[in-house]
Amino acid sequence: MHMKKLLVLVAFVLTLASQVLAQNNRTVTGKIIDETGVPLAGVTVAIPGTRTGTVTNATGLFSLNIPEGTKAVKVSFIGYESQTVSLTDASDITIKIKPDNKSLSEVVVVGYGTQKRVEITGSIGTVKGTAIAQQPVQSFDGALGGRVAGVQITVPNGVVNNPPVFRIRGTNSISLSSYPLIVIDGVVSFTGDIGSTAAPTNPLAGINPNDIESIDIAKDAAATSIYGSRGANGVVFVTTKKGKQGKAKVTYSGWVGEAQAQRLPKLLNAQQYVDNKNLGIAHAAADGKNLGTSFAINEDKNGNPINTNWLDVVYRKAVSHSHAISISGANDKTTYYMSAGFTDQQGILRRNEFVRKNILFNIDQKVGSILTIGGKISYANEKNLSANSSGSLEGEAFNSGGLARLAFLTGPNVSPYLNDGSYNVDGGVIGTMGNVGVQSGIYNPQVILDLDRSNSINNHIQSSIYAQLRPFSWVTLRTQYGIDQNHIDNELYENPISGDASPTAEAINATGIYNRWVWDNTIQFDKSFGKHSFSLLGGTEEEKSTKELFGIDRTGQNDPLFNNVEGGWQTTNPISSPVNTYNYLVSEFGRLNYNYAEKYFISANLRRDGNSNLGKNAKYGNFYGLSAGWTVSNENFWSHSSLGKTLNDLKLKASYGKVGNASISDFKSFSFYGSKLYNGDPTLYYSQAGNDYLTWETSKQLNIGLSFGLFDSRLHGEFNWYRNNVDGLILFVPMPPSAGVPTTIPKNIGSMYNTGEEIALGATIINHKNFTWNSDFNISFNRNKITNLYDGATQIISQTSGLESVSVQKVGDPIGMIFVTRTAGVDPANGKRIFVAADGQKFEFSLYGGGDGLANKWMTTDGKTTTRSVSGADAVAYKKTNPTFFGGWDNTFRYKSFELGILATFQAGNYVYYGTNAGLKDQRYWNNSTDVLHAWNTPNQKTDVPRVVYGDNISNGSSFPLDVNVFKGDFIKLRSVTLAYYLPGNVLTSTHLSSVKLYVSSNNLGIWTKYPGPDPEVSSNGNNPGLQGIDRNTLANGRTLTFGLNVGF
Amino acid sequence: MRRLKIYSLVAAMAMISSCQKSLLYPTPTTQISDISAFDTPERIFGQVYGLYGQLKDGNFFGERYQIYNEVRGEEFINLKGNAFTALQTWNFSVNSNAQEVENLWSSAYKTINATNVFLDGMTAKGNTIVDAATADNYTGEAKFIRGLSFYSLLQLYARPYWDNPTTNPGLVIYLEGNKNPASYQKARSTVADSYKQALSDLDSAENLLPESYEDNSKGQNTTRATKGAAIAIKTRVYLSMGNYDQVIAEANKIVSPAAPFQSSAGLALVANIKDAFASINTTENIFSLPFTSADVDAPGTQNSFAEYFLPSSLGGKAEYSLNASGIVAEATWGASDARRDFVTISGGSPYLIKFSTPSPYTDWAPIIRYSEVLLNLAEALVRKNNTVNAQAVALLSAVRHRSDPSVTYTTASFASATALLDAILLERRIEFLGEGLRGPDITRQGIAFPAKGAASSTAPTSPNYIWPMSADELNQNKLAVPN
Repeated sequence: MHMKKLLVLVAFVLTLASQVLAQNNRTVTGKIIDETGVPLAGVTVAIPGTRTGTVTNATGLFSLNIPEGTKAVKVSFIGYESQTVSLTDASDITIKIKPDNKSLSEVVVVGYGTQKRVEITGSIGTVKGTAIAQQPVQSFDGALGGRVAGVQITVPNGVVNNPPVFRIRGTNSISLSSYPLIVIDGVVSFTGDIGSTAAPTNPLAGINPNDIESIDIAKDAAATSIYGSRGANGVVFVTTKKGKQGKAKVTYSGWVGEAQAQRLPKLLNAQQYVDNKNLGIAHAAADGKNLGTSFAINEDKNGNPINTNWLDVVYRKAVSHSHAISISGANDKTTYYMSAGFTDQQGILRRNEFVRKNILFNIDQKVGSILTIGGKISYANEKNLSANSSGSLEGEAFNSGGLARLAFLTGPNVSPYLNDGSYNVDGGVIGTMGNVGVQSGIYNPQVILDLDRSNSINNHIQSSIYAQLRPFSWVTLRTQYGIDQNHIDNELYENPISGDASPTAEAINATGIYNRWVWDNTIQFDKSFGKHSFSLLGGTEEEKSTKELFGIDRTGQNDPLFNNVEGGWQTTNPISSPVNTYNYLVSEFGRLNYNYAEKYFISANLRRDGNSNLGKNAKYGNFYGLSAGWTVSNENFWSHSSLGKTLNDLKLKASYGKVGNASISDFKSFSFYGSKLYNGDPTLYYSQAGNDYLTWETSKQLNIGLSFGLFDSRLHGEFNWYRNNVDGLILFVPMPPSAGVPTTIPKNIGSMYNTGEEIALGATIINHKNFTWNSDFNISFNRNKITNLYDGATQIISQTSGLESVSVQKVGDPIGMIFVTRTAGVDPANGKRIFVAADGQKFEFSLYGGGDGLANKWMTTDGKTTTRSVSGADAVAYKKTNPTFFGGWDNTFRYKSFELGILATFQAGNYVYYGTNAGLKDQRYWNNSTDVLHAWNTPNQKTDVPRVVYGDNISNGSSFPLDVNVFKGDFIKLRSVTLAYYLPGNVLTSTHLSSVKLYVSSNNLGIWTKYPGPDPEVSSNGNNPGLQGIDRNTLANGRTLTFGLNVGF
Repeated sequence: MRRLKIYSLVAAMAMISSCQKSLLYPTPTTQISDISAFDTPERIFGQVYGLYGQLKDGNFFGERYQIYNEVRGEEFINLKGNAFTALQTWNFSVNSNAQEVENLWSSAYKTINATNVFLDGMTAKGNTIVDAATADNYTGEAKFIRGLSFYSLLQLYARPYWDNPTTNPGLVIYLEGNKNPASYQKARSTVADSYKQALSDLDSAENLLPESYEDNSKGQNTTRATKGAAIAIKTRVYLSMGNYDQVIAEANKIVSPAAPFQSSAGLALVANIKDAFASINTTENIFSLPFTSADVDAPGTQNSFAEYFLPSSLGGKAEYSLNASGIVAEATWGASDARRDFVTISGGSPYLIKFSTPSPYTDWAPIIRYSEVLLNLAEALVRKNNTVNAQAVALLSAVRHRSDPSVTYTTASFASATALLDAILLERRIEFLGEGLRGPDITRQGIAFPAKGAASSTAPTSPNYIWPMSADELNQNKLAVPN
């Protein structure tokens, strides 16, 4: 059979050759350039209606032998509009092609396959790899903000490789992850922070953003239901680069840059600090309380007053650089892409750093006529380095050693070093120098920054192999086996001098292993009968993910030299929370796509999942998505109408489906006894209460949308309305502590919805020969409401870092409302903060205001003593943390060889609890922001800062959270501004380079916001769904400036 | 050929999904399923030790309970102003949502429920796995732990027994194990009923527990409940209730009528009080909770006596110094008293070094020592008879003389019953300094908490005299009332 095919082919070629030879030929040479004049390699130049053609070389040049009488050539290139160019007698021509805005030929990854964009009836947004390739980020997810409607990215702080808060169409869970499913080249990736140190470890950093071809973001049930139980938060398909037809292409891209913290709080200097604290002490004395403490200016060894700016001790100007080379190409049989990258990105926090070395190899090989095999090998060595806790990751907000907090809390009148050059430390905390009877801070951050280590080094392998068989043109069988392996060495050392491990020191080495294998098998039938086109997919998938964490913890350092676990120590313990769990998923799925004449589209997806994490009586679930589309503009009545001439593209679509979320931790449905020790002997203790009926959260999603193109799609856009009803939300239902149940029991009990609108518009606003302006704008509106929690509960109070009850999940309100006690300003008569009790009554607080020297005096506003007091128990659901709308506006201006890209992002309607601000006004030994300089000091003074009384941590909001620290989070940001210059073609030709791009770029160049903290885009609680909008002792964000160079050889 | 390929592929696909379905029903390798927790004698025994493990949780007896009760008294000065190391307890400003109020309540009830779950499990299965004597012993240990937990909760969360015990709210009492997702709404029993339950548990424990353990190789006579421990705790409970007859009746079970005071099982004072802290397995340490340096066996951060009380020069965190005008200033506490050696001066301030092991702070936590039984008995004898009771004097003298051989009390040493009572109460402050008895000693007497440092005095009528009810409890249990 093969032989026969070959013979036919040979005969055909011979016939063709003889025809060609028989004709009178001439040679046309030329060059293909893009709009900016950059030569394009790999562009197909062919004679229409024939098989004669060629591709351009690396410098964009082609040479084509054409028969006499050939009137035109057709130029085509993926991502660009095809053109048919008439030939003149000239033998050397230059053809400029422009990017394809309509993207009719574009394909979209849809899970276990691809589909043409025009046939998509679900809601899918796409980000091209080029948009994020040169961003100074550690992983691609951090660069997606503002680029796709409905996708909200919040970079939580300036700690490098910290996973961003990633939301598609709002927050769709309360207890489980709301982070979307990330599928990289068909293999589901681990997400979140998988390290166990103060240096976060986002596994998505295993891919160099420069290696990404495209990111397709599936948003509705039609698009996500092929991932069934894991689709509720949306699915992000990442496709890495493959070689393109043509000669081997070699590229280098690199950048170097710096980053600086922005909008840090203005702190008191030493003199202001000493004066303010002593004023507070004097006020306490005036109130009848002699504290016997005082603050003093201290002198350094030269006799000058000490005035330490601790922000400078902790923050730095960070330097980063990144380099990648790639070699790629393809011929009829083989497609290959190989790249290697190195990046070293410093954080603005001293000692915080991300270093990645990575290599990627993609290959596809045709074997014979029906078999293709291929695979991918990706290895990355990702070093996530930090001295110690920044205080910025989930659970760290109140860490005693949180460096971001130490930077603003520590007294400026003490210095990191004593005058003899030794560390300023007393009993593990920073020494007080001349202060009497008080602390000057917590730990000495200099010691931590000099001596501690908290590193996670991930050796990350993502690989897969596949075989694909096409026995007939309409049948495709495919099997793929993939792995995602993260082998993480978590390595910590805490010094004995100042810090949590003082005075014994501590070293921990813990190995984290996150391994996954996934095997899927699919069969797909594609067949058209006249105008009826069918595509049917069936498949099975198995996936097993294991997590292990084990290691040793040593304390009692025998010698200061021993700062790793291998050295000499007094005690050796296992780490406190070892992990050994797995999750297993087994699934069957199918998809049917049908269209009639590319006008009417129907698509159905079905998936059945079994999941080991669920209760033993609830392991299996079925999920589906149905969608339909109507391309009105393909109807004759439309395309022939005058309206159709203007509105050249119009498509209506609708989808409905059910998807799930089962991202619950492994084994949570079980009841367990754990084991510890009692006097060195083994124990068993009741450690976990389970639920045999625990199952996934289900999200029923409806989407109605339309897309359109005007003026030959020069202006195009998409509008979607959606509603996601989430039921069976897993809640860890709190029980009265008196029940004594060891853990809260997860139950499928809550419900909420997200509904919203998304508008995306794109336009070529100006399209002159030398100047173009392309603009893409998107805006998303989302409304979230919790409709049910559990029996008898109207609210769940959630804590930041287990301490501050500042968030509430309340029926009838959006998720994550800020939960604070109300206040009513500062009484101008006496400078006391006025607090509002839950019943609306107002009370004034002063620490010693009774005149009897006793603490915590509450009075009515008319000065009467009272037994009432106001506390966190009077808190109310105050403001929402979800934005009303958010979006992005991306502009590209091109002038000759220059290109200016400006991406602005914005959001509005959300509030942020600036808990740090409570600390910045805390009247204990803490340093304050300069705001306290206008604290109340004389009767009838109107101010928002109460009279300072030393020791007062209630009036400022440290003791329990107050509304005065809640601010609007509206902002507009210049997320990314890039000015690029492309070396013109004539220069390139002489240098034998195919392309050179030079650019300068800045992230977070400007921010317009009334938020007083460093950045309203912030999260002290990582990705935790119900605890967003909290800025508690968090590291600031950085502004970066980078210079880059891309060269194509 | 090609068809064969397709068929084999399709067949392979069909088979795959049925390959590893057992993986859907995992058998974890690091924890034991509740179904099999009572399967073997070893697991049951492990659970008994697990109950002690719960009791010595950092938020309960290991050792925050004692620290809170100690710093409520007048003997310590807070140095760090840190709400996480009991500042608000020290200066009487705790709210119902203060971490200590919520955490101790929660930890104690986890201990109580663990005993309930254990007792249910013994009834359902355990009693058929171990022999009857062993089952009784285990049951006695569980009841001891439950009774001690109930009593101890009452000291912080309920008004003292002298204040309308039949109407004031006490504890939420469960005697059955709670394991399922349910709402668990339950009202607080009265103070009187709560004490009654604690006593009922301790009575039952007394009947079920052995005098001592065959294997005392690791100090099991101290680390496990004994008959003597149940009785000793009862003297404490009855003293709190002001039921002096019962204090005397219980104490007489383990205190010989005349010196040298001892019990039939060998409980007695050690010659040198330092031995009761240095070597933990003595005749005096009736019941202590052990700690070792293993992480899961050591007190956690900010939980231990030594971390709070030791000066930094000795490896502590110096959270609290002793109050220079507290008991250390007491003129009648002689300089040659061995207990003076538990006080050191560091940086000009006195510090308690009774618990002296630096991090990981593995000093055992003494829950009850024999000297307390002697002083409980002495106090009850004086209060009951309101005379200068000779046995009471002898008991007091035994405690004082042991540490200060220059002092021997006789009835002539005391001008009145009040003077003797004051001496006994003073002796308690010296003898148990830092061990967590001061708070309950103040509340049971109905006297004000004295002022100290920047903290003011708190009268018995003040709402702060006891802790508020846990806000968690009030939020989740609508039947629970605030204090």
